[in-house]
This record gives sequence, structure tokens and C-alpha cells, in this order.
Amino acid sequence: MHEETSTTKTMADLNSYLVFQIGNEFFSTNVGKILGIQEMVKITKVPKTPNYIIGVINLRGNVLPVIDTRIKFGLKETEFTVNTCIVVMEANIDNNTVQIGALVDSVNSVIEIEKGDILPPPNIGGKFQNEFINGMIKDDDKFIILLNIDKIFSSTELINIKEIVENQNKPESKTKNKTENKK
Amino acid sequence: MKDFKDKFIDEANELIQNLEKALLALEENPSDAEIIEKIFRIMHSLKGEGSMFGFDTISKFTHNIENIYDLIRNKKLKVNTDILDVTLASVDILRALLNENEDDTNLKNSITNINNKIQNILTPVNALENSVNQKNISIVKGVERNQQTRTYYISFKPKKDVLKSGSNPLFLVDDLYSLGDCKVFPHFDSVPDINDINASDCYVYWDIFIATNKGINAIIDVFIFIDDLSKIEIRKISEINLFNITSFLGIITETVKSQKHINIDKLNDLTHELEIIFEEDKKKEKNIYRSEKITESKISSIRVSAKKIDTLINRVSELITIQAHLSLFTKQHQNDELEAVTEEIEKISGSLRDDIFSIRLIPLETSLTRFYRLVRELSHSLKKNIVLKTEGTETELDKNILEGLTEPLMHILRNSIDHGIEDPETRIKSGKPEQGTITLKAFYSGTNIFIQIIDDGAGIDVKKIKQIAITKGLIEKNSNLKKQEILNLIFKSGFTTSETVTNISGRGVGMDVVKQKIKEIRGEVDVESTLGKGTTITIKLPLTLSIIDGLLTKIEDTMFIIPISSIEKIYAVEHSKLINTFNNVVTIENTQFPFFYLRKEFDLPETSLKLEQLIIVNYKNNNIGLVVDYVIGEYQAVLKSLGSFFKNNEFISGSSILGDGTVALVLDTSKIISQFSNYNKKFNSTTV
Repeated sequence: MHEETSTTKTMADLNSYLVFQIGNEFFSTNVGKILGIQEMVKITKVPKTPNYIIGVINLRGNVLPVIDTRIKFGLKETEFTVNTCIVVMEANIDNNTVQIGALVDSVNSVIEIEKGDILPPPNIGGKFQNEFINGMIKDDDKFIILLNIDKIFSSTELINIKEIVENQNKPESKTKNKTENKK
Repeated sequence: MKDFKDKFIDEANELIQNLEKALLALEENPSDAEIIEKIFRIMHSLKGEGSMFGFDTISKFTHNIENIYDLIRNKKLKVNTDILDVTLASVDILRALLNENEDDTNLKNSITNINNKIQNILTPVNALENSVNQKNISIVKGVERNQQTRTYYISFKPKKDVLKSGSNPLFLVDDLYSLGDCKVFPHFDSVPDINDINASDCYVYWDIFIATNKGINAIIDVFIFIDDLSKIEIRKISEINLFNITSFLGIITETVKSQKHINIDKLNDLTHELEIIFEEDKKKEKNIYRSEKITESKISSIRVSAKKIDTLINRVSELITIQAHLSLFTKQHQNDELEAVTEEIEKISGSLRDDIFSIRLIPLETSLTRFYRLVRELSHSLKKNIVLKTEGTETELDKNILEGLTEPLMHILRNSIDHGIEDPETRIKSGKPEQGTITLKAFYSGTNIFIQIIDDGAGIDVKKIKQIAITKGLIEKNSNLKKQEILNLIFKSGFTTSETVTNISGRGVGMDVVKQKIKEIRGEVDVESTLGKGTTITIKLPLTLSIIDGLLTKIEDTMFIIPISSIEKIYAVEHSKLINTFNNVVTIENTQFPFFYLRKEFDLPETSLKLEQLIIVNYKNNNIGLVVDYVIGEYQAVLKSLGSFFKNNEFISGSSILGDGTVALVLDTSKIISQFSNYNKKFNSTTV
């Protein structure tokens, strides 16, 4: 564990970002925040918890809470595939470093991005959702959303990522029915 | 250096604790020379080590207190309450100095305050001392106040005609040798040519260095008869015996030889340097002495940081987890040899676990000092006469539990002193002894440790409690509560019986905080009270925080562990019997058991199982059932925290990793029952 935290510190300023996919959307977070990628194991459900908390797993002798990012981000639930995995992240919640597993549909790649290439987060009328996003990256024809891990996991609310994504995609506008927006 | 400082802080904290203990003992036996000596020694080592590690404020501060105890030690001052109060207050300041920023203004103020008090104690004694000394001087001329060995330089130049008076300067020099260490340098440079010598004249003069404890007057006395026949200059050059410094003689000889004549200013510089060398030598010596002492004590015990032990415990916990994995594997693969090895490993890891946990056990008595102090100081300020008695303080507790226990115990004691024990007049009126007694009692029972705080005070007025609870809106006006239930109201948040807010207790945070703190160390707290007779508060604690004996059960596909200590019985019950009940009560062997159908409480889907398991657990002297799908067997669970993410799930006290690597959840049966019975209000009539 000690080695990991020390590398985290040196990696915090790196420009490497891990890209992963949830539903049809691409997300990314700085590798400094990522401790590892874990293949799916049996998840122990914890009763009486919000539905986006799936449960806990055994991560090398430690108990790790696992979040279903699809539910957390208000996206459609998908089937588990061989690509489904748990990204182990280190989030700073109330000044405590907490390890959290995030269930994602697949992990795609690690990309190098210069700070200047990060686009500002979409401005959607100062809505609170904005704080969950550090920025956007345009990679070929797709947008990658840079997540603010600390803010996302500090919040107990569901986050409507869809709204943010759609707002960004508006110029290319594929009109979607907005009835899906549920909290 | 930081390591050394940390070590010093560790040691100093221990010294301060011992000091506190000794001070309280001194109050009992104010004339016990051994205790006084001990206090003085602790002060002395604090001072010495403090200055060695750069804690100058501590060093200076202790120096003042040390002075007091030096006087006491030399029977020039008698121990009294004032002195004890000042010293105890100083203990607090020392502790604060060690652990906090010494630039804090509050701290600085209190230091000045205490220093003034110390001076107040010291001044009259010193004044007395001085007057005594003056008398001595007038009677016995030449006796110095402190008979310490000092070094002097004497320049002895007899006049030419000194021999004519019949005195021989050489005899005088011989006399000097009898006073102490002496080094004499004769100078012959004024001896004239042989033809010009007058045999009755003295041409020689001397430079003499002498270290004596007889004082300067003794030296003057030596020369008293040739006072007017010679030029004598005596100068004290050092407060210490420079002859003890090995290099002194060499240096001084060198200087005298090269300069022919001693220059006093140069000499002062020199001695100053020598004194520094001397101080360093002394430190070295002390270090050697210290390391010897440590090697000696190493034989019986070593000091290990608590962190290291915690790491070790984590390792052992991991070992137990892996051993469970191995046992599971062995069960699945029929192999006699493997089975034998697994069994051995099981045995060894079991005893390893027991050993390692016993390392972390600390007897309760180690933290008693602050309780004694609390009782002493609080009862003084409240003008009550209270004695704290202790029983079973050799009872050992896990270090972490003990740490978590101190604060709630202080709070309970504060309450007992402030609200429990009456003032002396009231006590006499109600036919009780004037002195109130608070008893702190600790004992083992089963897999638990009990700690009781018993006072013989006024007891809790149930009617008053009820009245307050009603006015504070904690209970309904016409609610029909039993006595025990009313007593338990004192643990409710926002409840305080004190009408006036004192600085001791009654700040609105009261017993609810106690309950919360004890909960954090997996304990329970209960109160019993008889009006006019006294109150007993009982704290029930687990033996250890990290491993429990549990029963492994399963609901749906999740494993749950129920602590064995809370289980009374297990019944297999048909599904139909459990599902079609009124008020969730099932009758088995003519006994009615209220139960919780956990599957439903956990919002899990219906089951197709025909037979389910009813686990009867004890809840506040009632037998209540919890229904699970399967009982798998006994399991030694290494507890792991679920972390802050699940802090709202109170009924799960932790988790444990099973042999196959899956995570099992450890249930807290009391919290399940209290949470779910409040939740659906089913059991208000059936539970007490």
C-alpha cells in the first residue's frame, strides 16, 4: 500500500489519463487517481444501502466498496460482459483518502493529454452538476469526459451525466427523448 | 534528530505520568522521603534530557519546580497542599509543552502564572536560608554557603625579605597541597647572577592552581602570616574542579611555559573553554550510564512502538485469513498429508494470534492516575469529600479499547462527583458517612470485560428524570415507562439533569456522548440507581476489537457472521410457520419467540426454501429470533472495517474475509433488533 501512495504523489502531475467506457459514453480520469484495475469478482451485497452501492469485494485482503457507475451517473444498466471490470480509485472524501471500486463496462486505453488540450466543462447554466467534471477532451470524433473523482464520490446524490453529455453533443444534435431524465 | 525528539517525548510523557502518580502518592504520605526523592529524580531527568534535546522551555520550567523539591528533600520546606497544587498544575503544563506549540499565548500565560506561584513558595525559604547563612558567616568566618569544589589561581610573589620574618614560602605551598588538588609553577626568572645573590633574600615567585572545596578564605588563611610581606593575588577561575578535566594540566603547563607570566584575562578565556569541555564530558558520561541502564532493563522488557504491534496484528489477521483459505482447500482435496500440515498450521496460527493479542493488553491501572487526579481536584473545587477506590485494576484491556474508554470514564466520574455525591452536610443529615465513596471496579465475565463506577451518592430521581424528559419532549406526557426505561433516558441526546450549567458537567453533552464513545469500542453501557443509596454505571466491553468467534450464516448469496457470544439457540423452522404469522411471533417448544425475518428486513426477494434457520439471540435479557437461510458453522472472524462509505449501516459492525476470498458481513444483533423494531414499531409491546 505504501508504495502505491508514494507513486500516486509523483504521478499526480502526469498527463496520462485512463479512458473507460460506461454505456456509450467515454470517461477519463488522471492515472494518479487510479490504483489498479480489477477483474470482476463476486461482490458481497450490503443490505440497506443506496442502490448505486453494489457492495464490497476483497481486494488483496482489504475490503473495498464498489459503486455501480451506471446507476450513479443515471445511465442505463447493461449486462455484465467479459469486459466489465472494477477500476480501483483513490478519492479524497472529507479530507480522508478512501479507496473505491468503480464498476465500468470496459477499460479502453491510457492516453497522453497536454493540459492545454483539455476543453473547459460545458457550461450548462451554472448547474451543480458542473463540479463533477474537470473538462472534456476531443479524441477523433468522440468526446471524453474528465471526471472529478473526489467530488463524485463525496456526493451521495445520483449524478445526471447524460444531461451534461447531451449538452456537449448538441451542435451535432441527435435529438433524444428527455423522459429518461430521472433522479 | 526528530527520532530522538520523538523518543524524548515518549519518555517524557512516561516520566510525567510517573510524576503525577508519585505526587498523588505524596499527598497520602507527605513525609515519605522515598517519594520525594523519586519526584526530585523525575524532575531532574526531565530537566536534563529536555535541555539535551533542545526543549529549553521544559528544561527551564522544570528547573524551578526541581528547586522546590530540592528544598523539600533537604528538609528546608514541608510538603503542603499549595505545593502539591502547583506541582500538579505544572504537570499539566509540562504535558502541554510536550505535545503542543509552546508559543501558544495561553500556555505562556499559565507558565508565567505557575512560575510566580513557584517563586512565592521559594522566596520565603530562600530569604530564611540567606539570613541563616549570614549568621554562619559572622560566626565562622570563611565557611562558604555551598561547599563546592572550585578552582582558584594564586599568584604568590613574596617580597625579597620574606625569609627574614622566619616564614618559609615553601611551607605555605605545602599547606596549599593539603587543601586539594594543586599545581605549582615556580618562576626563577628574577634570580640574579650567582655573584649577586643575597642568601637571605627570596627571589622566587609562584603561580599556583588549586582546586578546593574549603573556600577562598581557607586559602587566604594560609597566607595570613605573610600578608604584608608578599604580593598575593587569589582569583576564582572556575566554579568546578578543573583538575577533573584530563587536558587541564597539559594546557595550563603549556600556557605558563609559553607566557612566563599568567595573564588573567587569557586565563579566563581558557577556563571558559575548559568548562565547556567539562560539560561535554559529563554528557558523554551520562550517555554511557544511560545506555548501560537500558541494556540492563532489556532483559525483562523492551519498548516497542504501538504502531509496530498494530502492524504485527494486521499481519497475523492476514495469516488467519489465509489459513482459513488453506483449510477450505484441504477440505475439498482429500489428502492425508495435506490435512496434517493444515492442522498444524491451524494450531500454530491460533496460538500466534493469542500471543500477539496478549501483547496489546494493558492493565487498567496504567490509566488510573488521571482518575485519581480528577476526583481530587473536582471534589476540592466543589468542597466535597470524596475518595476513589479501585478494585480489579489488574484487569487487562486491549490498548485500543483502553484508549477509547478513558474519556467516557472521566465523564461518568465527573457526573458522579458533581451530581451523584452530596455535599458533606447533606450526607451527614441523611445518615451517611461524611466522606463519599466512588468505586471503580473491573472484572472479566465470559468473553466480556465489565467496568463499573459505583457511587454512594444521592442516586437518580426517576420522577425528576421523567419530568425533564417530558419537558424536553423526549417522551410523551402520559407514556407508561418502566423504571429501567426511564433511567436509560439519561443516555438520550440533549438530556441533562443539572439545572445550572457548571463548568464540570451539564453542558448538554452528557451521557449520550458517553454512550456514543463506548459504542465506538463495541461496548454497551447501563445504569442502575436507587434513590438515596447511589448509582452504578456498568460498561460491558469486548475482549478484543479485531477477532471474534462467530457463526457463519447465509441469506440469499450473502454470508453473514453473527457473534457467538450473543447466540442462545438455533432452531430449524418451516418456512410456512414463519411467513404466516401475526406480529412476527413464532412458537417453538411452547415458547414464544418474537423474530425478525432478515430476508424481508434486508429487502431481499422471497425464498423457495422449505426450511429456514431461526437463530435465537439475547437482547436485553429477552430471547429474540433472527431468521437466516442457512447456518454454515462456527467461524473465527478477523474483523475488518467496512469503511466510511457504510457508516450509516449501523447494524453491520464490520466484515471479514472468508477462506474462499469472499467478504462476509458481521452483524451486530443488538443494533439489528433496535433498528428494525424502531423501524416498524412492532415490538413496543413485546420488548421491555
